[in-house]
Amino acid sequence: MMLWDLWKKGFDAWEEATARYLEAVLKSSAVLIPSGALLSAVMKAKAERDRMITHFWNAMGLPSRQDQERALHLLNQLHSRINDLEQKLNERSP
Amino acid sequence: MNQKQEHDEGKRLWNLLSLPFRKKPAVGVTPADVIHQENKWRLLRYRPRAAGVAFSTPVLLVPSLINRHYVLDLMPGKSFAEYMVQQGHDVFLLDWGTPRNEDRFLTFDDICERYLGRALSLTASFSKRNQAHLLGYCMGGILTAIHTAVHPNNVASLVQLAAPVRFHDDGLLSAWMRTPSFDIDAMIDAFGNVPWQLMQSAFHLLRPTLPLSKAVGLVDRAWNDEFLDGFFALETWGNDNVSLPGEFYRRYARMYRDDDLVRGAMTLGGAPVHLSSIRCPLLVVTFEHDNIVPWQSAAELMTLVSSEDKQHLHLPGGHVGAVVSKSAARGLWPNISSFWALRDRTSLA
Repeated sequence: MMLWDLWKKGFDAWEEATARYLEAVLKSSAVLIPSGALLSAVMKAKAERDRMITHFWNAMGLPSRQDQERALHLLNQLHSRINDLEQKLNERSP
Repeated sequence: MNQKQEHDEGKRLWNLLSLPFRKKPAVGVTPADVIHQENKWRLLRYRPRAAGVAFSTPVLLVPSLINRHYVLDLMPGKSFAEYMVQQGHDVFLLDWGTPRNEDRFLTFDDICERYLGRALSLTASFSKRNQAHLLGYCMGGILTAIHTAVHPNNVASLVQLAAPVRFHDDGLLSAWMRTPSFDIDAMIDAFGNVPWQLMQSAFHLLRPTLPLSKAVGLVDRAWNDEFLDGFFALETWGNDNVSLPGEFYRRYARMYRDDDLVRGAMTLGGAPVHLSSIRCPLLVVTFEHDNIVPWQSAAELMTLVSSEDKQHLHLPGGHVGAVVSKSAARGLWPNISSFWALRDRTSLA
């Protein structure tokens, strides 16, 4: 067990030092600026692709995925508005 | 090697070999009833202890939106909610549920004003004074602080558990969020909801050596069944994340980037959010080794509110461990329970 305890002490020290080093790397603008730009570029490309798909379905006279999501969201909002009104009624009732 | 050490070594070896077949511990099992359900969120009310409720003011627990609610009810013996029920509190919990694609349109106001407001007023309706003690954990704490600042009427007291208010801090999350080349709008436009996989990866990057460290810790304490159950319960929770509604995140991220809460530039439902409007009793809890919410960022609330009755409890431990560990049952939980008990106008006990 002595050997394990000794190894673990060494590991803990290595882990602490490595974590601190990685934190400094992950915080540096030399890493963050290009990573952020790359991530943003990929996401813009995906958003553009989705927009083209939406235009395609709309041109066919069909609802796109986002149209359907918006309709479902509005239904949920309607339900919440009904709950709002019920709550107001309950608050006013003696 | 004495007899106990030999036994522990044997147990460690057996437990390690049988890990793949180990039964997963049950999580979130404290008995509760759903008293309201709307869209994906639910309001849970924990069943009172056999001796009945001892305090007249109910308690509403508000966890983060990006994790499952059962972090506050992890497993028997390591459950904040179970402990509070045993102390005689009437405990409610807001389970945010799992957002689906259509919830990308949910706004910050929908969640922080309408949903949280409804949960709070329903909880408060169970007390004669029409108020409830409010507890927000992590992102849940940001929501409770903002809501209390604008709608203080139903709030008997506020407990902020590792909840940041100053976002421009030395933490990694703050540095990432404020990276100018990271286009938040592009992310929302691309994904709708912020995918949980993206958020989980970000949390893993906060300490990339953590999985290795956890594995070594597991081997080190594999002889302890109680530790193993807790470890796997926490792992179950840690890997059970949910996506974040896109429009909500757009506003949240802007608030984070511009430090809107501290600057007083935040609004809720059109009303300005001034943290100085918080006047109710306040308990701010921070953790020394919290690498998700630096404690200074959460402690800042103490200087911003107008409450005369306010306390800051600073404890050792990390963001999650300190809330669900054995030491929490000895320090954190009793402290919060007494805070509520002392501020309960008419104790029923």
